[in-house]
Amino acid sequence: MQRRQAGWIALFLLPAVALFLTIYAIPLGITLYTSLFDYRLFPNRMVYVGLANFAQLFARDAQFHRALVNNLVWILLHTTLHIAIGAVLALILYKKPRGWKAVRVIYMIPSIISNAAVAMIFANIYNPSYGVINSLLKSVGLAGMQRNWLYDPATSFVSVTMIWTLFSGYNTTLILSQALSLDSSVLEAARVDGASRLQQDFLIVMPLVKHMLATTMIMAATYMLQMFDLIYLTTRGGPGVTTTNLPLMLYKTAMTENNYGYANAIGVVIIALGVLFMTLINKLLRTRED
Amino acid sequence: MKRILSLLLAVVMVLGLGSALAEIKLDYPTFQVGVNTAAPVIAQLVEEFNALHAGQVVIQVEEIPGDANYIDKIKVLLNAKDLPPVIYGAGYNLLDLALASDLLVDLTPYVEADPEWQAMYNDKALEVNSRDGKIYGSSAEGNTIGYFYNKELFEQAGIAGPAKTWDEFFAQLDTLKAAGITPLSMDTADSAWVTSLWMGALIATSGEAGQAFMAQMMPDDYNTPEVIGALEKIQKMFQEYTTFDAVGGKYENAANAFLSGQTAMIANGPWMIGDFSDTTKAPEGFADKVGVAIYPEGFAYDEPIQGYLVTRQQDSAVEQAAVEMVKYFTGVHAQTVALEKQGMLPASTQVEITQTAKDNFPLLAEFVVALEGAVIRSATTQATMYPNLLDIMSAELPNLASGAMTPEQFAQALTEGAAKNK
Repeated sequence: MQRRQAGWIALFLLPAVALFLTIYAIPLGITLYTSLFDYRLFPNRMVYVGLANFAQLFARDAQFHRALVNNLVWILLHTTLHIAIGAVLALILYKKPRGWKAVRVIYMIPSIISNAAVAMIFANIYNPSYGVINSLLKSVGLAGMQRNWLYDPATSFVSVTMIWTLFSGYNTTLILSQALSLDSSVLEAARVDGASRLQQDFLIVMPLVKHMLATTMIMAATYMLQMFDLIYLTTRGGPGVTTTNLPLMLYKTAMTENNYGYANAIGVVIIALGVLFMTLINKLLRTRED
Repeated sequence: MKRILSLLLAVVMVLGLGSALAEIKLDYPTFQVGVNTAAPVIAQLVEEFNALHAGQVVIQVEEIPGDANYIDKIKVLLNAKDLPPVIYGAGYNLLDLALASDLLVDLTPYVEADPEWQAMYNDKALEVNSRDGKIYGSSAEGNTIGYFYNKELFEQAGIAGPAKTWDEFFAQLDTLKAAGITPLSMDTADSAWVTSLWMGALIATSGEAGQAFMAQMMPDDYNTPEVIGALEKIQKMFQEYTTFDAVGGKYENAANAFLSGQTAMIANGPWMIGDFSDTTKAPEGFADKVGVAIYPEGFAYDEPIQGYLVTRQQDSAVEQAAVEMVKYFTGVHAQTVALEKQGMLPASTQVEITQTAKDNFPLLAEFVVALEGAVIRSATTQATMYPNLLDIMSAELPNLASGAMTPEQFAQALTEGAAKNK
């Protein structure tokens, strides 16, 4: 009977496994394999170089070092500051102050706008001639502080970071939904025991929603590992490589430098970082043991 | 009755299906749409070609605003070996990239079989469109380029006319600046077209070594005194003589600054002349304020750019149709349309500068006269550099402009970028 059941399970799993193999596993295998080659398309060349691409990346490629550091900083900011903003707002809304539903919806709006539109909005906000920031600075007599925010090497990284850091609508929604589903008797007991509002938030609610926090942190880390469009549409990774991250470098290496082996080596690093961060976040919040 | 109607309907459907199957569709991605100066010309040529080949061939235009986006798209398709039947080289050296993957159709037999088409090629056009004695492209644009200046702003600053030397030119920039006028339109985004024109002119006029550099196809070494000297001046231009939004700005920003009277000069070709009298882009009467000149030291860009290329297709009928399209788009008629409608100087000497063109664009006639004084001529740097360097130019120019990078470091970045093609 059990063998028969196992057969059915295998049969039903087959389409999903086949899809996974076709769409993910095989390309992943090809990526790993070709990262060991000097692989170019025009002229067609595929020469085995072993780990030379990785050695070049880590030992000598200053652009890669900058892109890696940028990516790591963005992951760090996105999994901490960005999530913290969402969590704090969720904790405020959890108490259902007046208008909390409206705030929840309004704060979600930037998250449902397409990234292309967000990029265009920020390109205009940062525009040195007619952008909101420079206009505001000029109107309050701070014309001397006006900058070309996206293209001044001193401000470009922060300017790009601000595009996605402040809007944490998804995280607020997810953490809030988890918080709202908590058993109210737990908090009542805490109140009876004399716990302050702050203690209730950080010692009762937060630990109880940590599974959701872990999920949002993993989502935030992978979002930053995949981030491409917002950078491409605002600075294209410039000035120089000031705002380049690994996906953008991968794209440029493949598309403008025709160096597919090297690009795939960058791809392997991105995958490795993804696995690393997922494991790290899970371990940090010990979600598995719970 | 019903049976007859059903039968008729079936016949109509079969015929319709037959004609639809017989009609060859040529997908044609192009950036020459929207506000691009060549958009009206391409629209007319597509319409004419489709009418001429109604029921047989139809060009289906795919609009890709921005030439940098177009180049990116073509590279993606090139990598996938799935190029559209016709691509436009547009001075971005796509010919060598496509040829390296053996994706181009040899046009030599078609050109040789058609004396009229063959006559369209002058020596330079043949050179830029050929490799190893085989013709792969057909040019439509002469790519003759100088710069435009705002006569009214010059007058306000007390400047009599275009500079003959670079020293005089930079003195004029100071004079304009002192008069409260922003002297130059520049850009860094996309391929930094306007800026690269100033840069190339500075290199070409720096002596014999500079001319030799400009004559090279795909230079490998940018660490030369001529290039570094030009970059020093470009850095100065960014820091002292251009608009705040030039850094990070596209060609459109640079053009808009000139067309709105914000800047006094812009480097560009005669295809821009049409914009001066287009009231959707410039104020009424702006065309009368514009003068045209060749660059200081008697330099002008004057070399046909790589034109239209036909790519290998599985269906030979599609290839044939693509050849027909290219022939039509680069013929005397097409070049005359571009001349009269856009002010584009033709690639072929077979095309006369018509009176209509001179009437439509008096500035064009003025430019043709000015060109006679050009003692140094070359192709643009963009037409000769490795395509990946366009990206590096665009990415690193903001660093050069801000002083975060020295001209020597910029030249080194280009040299390193060129080395990646080996």
